[in-house]
Amino acid sequence: MRASSLGPAERLRSRGRRLREGVIRWVTRRHRDDGAQTTLGRDRIYILPTRAGYTLLAILGVMLLGAINYSNNMAFLLTFLLVGIGHNAIWYTHRNLLGLKVSALPTTPVFANQILSVSLRLEDTRGRDREALHLSIGEYTSEPVAVPGRGQQVASLSLPAPGRGVYRLPRQHLGTQYPLGILNAWSWLGLTSEILVYPQPVDPGAAHTALGDQAGAQRRQDASTPDHIRPYRPGDPPGRILWKALARTGKLHIRETVAGGRDTLWIDWSSMPASDTETRLSMLCHQILAAEAEGRAWGLRLPDQTLPPGQGPAQRERGLRALAEFRFEPIPLPVAETARGAKK
Amino acid sequence: MNRSSRQHLPELQGLELALLALPVAALPHAWHQPLWVTLLVAAAILLRSWFHLRDRKPPSIGQMALLAAFAGGLTFLQYGTLFGQEAGTALLLVMMALKLLETRNRRDIVIGLFLGYFVVVTTYFFDQSMLIAAWSLLSAWLLTAALVQVHAGRPLERRRLAKHSGWMMVHALPFMLILFVAFPRVQGPLWGDPQRDEVATTALSGELNPGDIAELLQDETTAMRVQFHDYVPPPRAQYWRALVMTDFDGRRWQAEGGESSIDLPQPGDPNEVVAYTATLEPTRVRYLPVLDYPVSLPDNAEYRDNHQVVRDRRIVNRIQYDAEADLTRPPGGDEALSRSARERALELPPSAAPRSRAEVALWRATHGDDDRAIIQAALDRFAAAPYRYTLQPPTLEGDVTDQFLFETQAGYCEHYASAFAVLMRSAGIPTRVVTGYQGGEWMQRGEYLRLRNADAHAWNEVWLDGEGWIRVDPTAAIAPERIEAGIGGLTGGEGESVPDFLRRDGLGWVQQFRFGFEDWRDFARFRWESWVLAFDPERQRELFARFGLDATDWRDIVTALGVGFGLLAVAALAWNVWRRPRRAREIADRLLQRLSRRIERQHTGLGRRPHEPVVAWARRVKAARPDLAPLVDAFAEHYNRARFAPARPDERAGHLTALRRLAVSDLREPAAAQASLRMP
Repeated sequence: MRASSLGPAERLRSRGRRLREGVIRWVTRRHRDDGAQTTLGRDRIYILPTRAGYTLLAILGVMLLGAINYSNNMAFLLTFLLVGIGHNAIWYTHRNLLGLKVSALPTTPVFANQILSVSLRLEDTRGRDREALHLSIGEYTSEPVAVPGRGQQVASLSLPAPGRGVYRLPRQHLGTQYPLGILNAWSWLGLTSEILVYPQPVDPGAAHTALGDQAGAQRRQDASTPDHIRPYRPGDPPGRILWKALARTGKLHIRETVAGGRDTLWIDWSSMPASDTETRLSMLCHQILAAEAEGRAWGLRLPDQTLPPGQGPAQRERGLRALAEFRFEPIPLPVAETARGAKK
Repeated sequence: MNRSSRQHLPELQGLELALLALPVAALPHAWHQPLWVTLLVAAAILLRSWFHLRDRKPPSIGQMALLAAFAGGLTFLQYGTLFGQEAGTALLLVMMALKLLETRNRRDIVIGLFLGYFVVVTTYFFDQSMLIAAWSLLSAWLLTAALVQVHAGRPLERRRLAKHSGWMMVHALPFMLILFVAFPRVQGPLWGDPQRDEVATTALSGELNPGDIAELLQDETTAMRVQFHDYVPPPRAQYWRALVMTDFDGRRWQAEGGESSIDLPQPGDPNEVVAYTATLEPTRVRYLPVLDYPVSLPDNAEYRDNHQVVRDRRIVNRIQYDAEADLTRPPGGDEALSRSARERALELPPSAAPRSRAEVALWRATHGDDDRAIIQAALDRFAAAPYRYTLQPPTLEGDVTDQFLFETQAGYCEHYASAFAVLMRSAGIPTRVVTGYQGGEWMQRGEYLRLRNADAHAWNEVWLDGEGWIRVDPTAAIAPERIEAGIGGLTGGEGESVPDFLRRDGLGWVQQFRFGFEDWRDFARFRWESWVLAFDPERQRELFARFGLDATDWRDIVTALGVGFGLLAVAALAWNVWRRPRRAREIADRLLQRLSRRIERQHTGLGRRPHEPVVAWARRVKAARPDLAPLVDAFAEHYNRARFAPARPDERAGHLTALRRLAVSDLREPAAAQASLRMP
């Protein structure tokens, strides 16, 4: 696609999108940063008729004309009854959101191009059952969520993860059309939450093996360095437990590989057989996963950072996070927006 | 129905309820639509239910288009059009059914339900009874519940749906009332002639011809209902004039509209004026029945120079009007009869009624110029046997007047009025026939007069110089009970049948009960009709005028609507404050105050002082009134627990209940309070 020559329609659409975005940004200026939790007050719930609402309005108009034309008082009565119901739907719908306590739940990190699951906790404190709430971000909308009175429920949304990086949760949209579907009430939320996207693992393959012990994974065979033995702590891999020592002493001990120890694998930025940053990170990611799978201790060397050797879930998380954060300033999660915005 | 299919189709939640609500909404149409429409709707609903139960796909778009074309064609064949009340309604029903049949997603259900509301409204083309109103409420309730279920995102419990939808209706009622009263009304129709295909109405005929009223006499439907504002005139004075007939062709009397409008006469004695409100069923003609003799009419009615009252447009809807009458002011009393009017009121076809003319000539010879004596002679003739009053007279052939007067000698008001007029005209006394209603049934419940079509009557007016058009009712001479007790007073001669509804005496208790029920029903219907159905631009103007507002001025309408909705908003706010869940603290304090006040009333100074701890106060009370010890101890205990102890909500409610009981317990016999001491 030639970026320079957008069609006029496309240009108009993109201008419309920008205008829309500007309006929303202005409207939500006070709620851009809600922190981890917020309560939906009257000052941030918006409400407009849906297409079904306009349809009903048209039908009521026809009914009213009929009532006038035929001077039919019962037709007037029914029409006005429905007008009353339609009008009251404004506050029924509004009340479905009002006073709802919303908080962001931590997002489980994923690898690039996987599916990311964003969750908010919705809580009612006013003893009102809430029905059919939809969480949406960009063009993605959750299944309807019902929150029982004085209870809570989690609204989850699946999004495709972008490339690796650290992202902020983008503006969220919590909407409802309950009970009649003729009005759409919504609130824009600025809950903050960090989203980690690890690089997509790429096997460095044969190239890596050839480079082998030369520089990549430096295995230092140093028999003189004895294994450090220490008491078991929860979380230590079972493969390291000294079963003989257990039989002898009745206590759990493990053999710990000391930094720079015999079995330590160094996963090194400079030894990845690729030139561009992202591919290198992907390869490093693969190496970390491979080392973890083998249960080996490993350390990570990046151009601006070195992760001391270690092993286990915490080490894995630290390493992958380092890769995700590598030369990456946190930005809002990029999400596709439909032209009509975040509606179902 | 298995659970899984419901889960497979979250989009179709609410379809089951829609499949219940739509037939309910459409049911009243079954009495008014051709059979095939009813069958088609029923078939579509059954078929769709079957699809739903079996989890089948609805018909394809192509099949639906074929079906729709077929149904549209059938409608066109039936009515020759697709528009208008009947054809339009049939088309709407059919399309709603087809929409339901093809329902494949939420939007389809929503559209179907919206059409359902429309189906309810079209019911009123055919029926505006209270029963239909109640049925409409049921329909709207179900349709709304279905709409809620469609948007709920999960299956809601039935009770919750029912309650939710019910409350929605209740909340909407005030809106309905305010808009109904204050929404600017304009006189329809805006287009077309809506009454073209309306059901037939009964009205007095513009012609009087032996045999005409007889049909009406069998008609027990209501023609009009009247509420007198204070004075209720006696039945024999209750003549409701509608049409005046001056032109006679030897057989038929013809009504005419008069040539111009004239002013109403001034009432003689303002205290003698009878004021009333009449609710008239639609007649599709313009005349307005008014009590003899009118002195005040609604704005949109005119008093014509032939002394009948016409409205500015045909009466196609039930209307209500206020008017006044002076029973003693016959029309034309203040002026002379113009030459042309006199000639018209004397005209007889030259060949008409030769035997009658001969008879009248004899009377003239006897009584000379005394018109009153001539009139009396005619009435005496009727009063003498063998004339009889019957609703089933023999048919008349040849010269109707002579045949009736000299041969059959049996007939009802029409025959007598017509014959009397011919006799008078032969004698040179200007005479005309007036038709309208006479008698009616006084409804004790609701205190109103009900005039049925069967109460139609015909009488005469003769011109007497200096007095005006004087009413003469020849029927009163032959059947005075008809005039005194209404048409129901007739018991029927030997072998004659009187319509069932006219017999009230000597009935078994079952019939008595039935008529009692009928009276109730008519009362309810009357209220419904006069309060709801008869509210029109005219009535709105009157209602606004009562508050000093002008219903034709948009600013006043805005004012009325603003005041209405303002009051509604205040009421809603008050309701919200009232309904606000009060904290246990407030309730406990209120009950404490109450008990304290009651004790203070018995022993001044024993009430709780401000800031006095409850326990200290209890101690003080116990010292003065040891017999109250158990009561105040228990109260203090429950009070402290309700207010300060962190309790589960239900425990707290238990304490509050105990407090409520204690606060009102008998202070003179505290033993009674002992029973409520046990802690919950």
